[in-house]
Amino acid sequence: MKPAALQLGVAPPANRGLAILDFFLRLIAIVGTLASAIAMATTNQTLPFFSQFVRFRAKFSDLPSFTFFVVASSIVTAYLVLSLAISILHIAKANVVNTRVLLLVLDTAAMGLLMAGSAAATAIVQLAHNGNNKVNWFAICQQYNDFCKRVSGSLIGSYAGVVVLILLILLSGVALSRR
Amino acid sequence: MDHSTHSTKESGDIPIPMTDSKSSKASSPLMPATTNKTAKQPPVSRLKRGLGVVDFILRICAIVTALAAATAMGTTSQQLPFFTQFFRFKADYDDLPAFTFFVIANATAGAYLVLSLPFSIVCIVRPHIIGARLMLLVFDTIAVPLVTAAASAAAAIVYLAHNGNSNANWVAICRQFDDFCQRVSGAVVASFITSLIFVVLVIVSAAALRRN
Repeated sequence: MKPAALQLGVAPPANRGLAILDFFLRLIAIVGTLASAIAMATTNQTLPFFSQFVRFRAKFSDLPSFTFFVVASSIVTAYLVLSLAISILHIAKANVVNTRVLLLVLDTAAMGLLMAGSAAATAIVQLAHNGNNKVNWFAICQQYNDFCKRVSGSLIGSYAGVVVLILLILLSGVALSRR
Repeated sequence: MDHSTHSTKESGDIPIPMTDSKSSKASSPLMPATTNKTAKQPPVSRLKRGLGVVDFILRICAIVTALAAATAMGTTSQQLPFFTQFFRFKADYDDLPAFTFFVIANATAGAYLVLSLPFSIVCIVRPHIIGARLMLLVFDTIAVPLVTAAASAAAAIVYLAHNGNSNANWVAICRQFDDFCQRVSGAVVASFITSLIFVVLVIVSAAALRRN
């Protein structure tokens, strides 16, 4: 790279490309996490039969892991929407190092939170699908079919969000090392 | 007559080989070779070296916690003193797939950390190296969700084991399998600490990668 091109305030073309890619990846992550939060939060299946004392209903709030998943997904979605502003700043201005490091730190925290929620929900979904003979836990998916399908589908969106967040962190790292 | 060489001999200084006069006016004189270059490290080098040392120490702590979590979970086996004619009441870590994944993930993280120690030492010795630091950043970024996933999946199962779930008719097995539950809960805590250390390692690598 010729020395004449590295002036203050002008982004080298590669970093601007990285910043634009960062912005679009954030949009994809927002869609994924928002969809998965909504899909999980709107689960509500009532079985057509009921006894005199108990109604057979399954919601996400019946299982604490799913509640944690909805909360974590919502927090990460809100954070991603707010970080769009910083991402636009990175496209416009080149030599802001401190906000890039800050964005990387917050992205790492968000990824950890989202992965924690997704893994907890996955563990419960695996139990619900297969049951466990050794501890006498019954596979509830055999009865609550729609509930299980919806919950499993919402996990896909959040795992996609995790993968995109990993890519965002790597992009930030490469952009930091390139200045 | 060559004026440039004549002037250097007259002054009595160290004979610095100078080029022709036009170019010698534009460029500054070369420094003599006897300057001590390693007398004082610039502050940026010291900062990056310090970050490298922090990185190394944190890696060693993470090795301890990751391997402790894996072994604590992997050596669980509790058998209750009573049994029926057909059934033996035993709880192992491989009864639950989440726990099996937990052991594998933490063992993998521990092995990766041991293998990454030489790279961390290289980053201390040469503070301005970028390739090794970037590689550590990439693999640490992959390790964070791996260990977090293992820890939180096991935490979800442990929570169920402690409290049960009346809506799904799942019995709280911790009331019977006491030692098993305590050991497993301790392993989950160690794994969460490992995950936190990995997050700090990512931040340290990113801070050290900045070109100042």
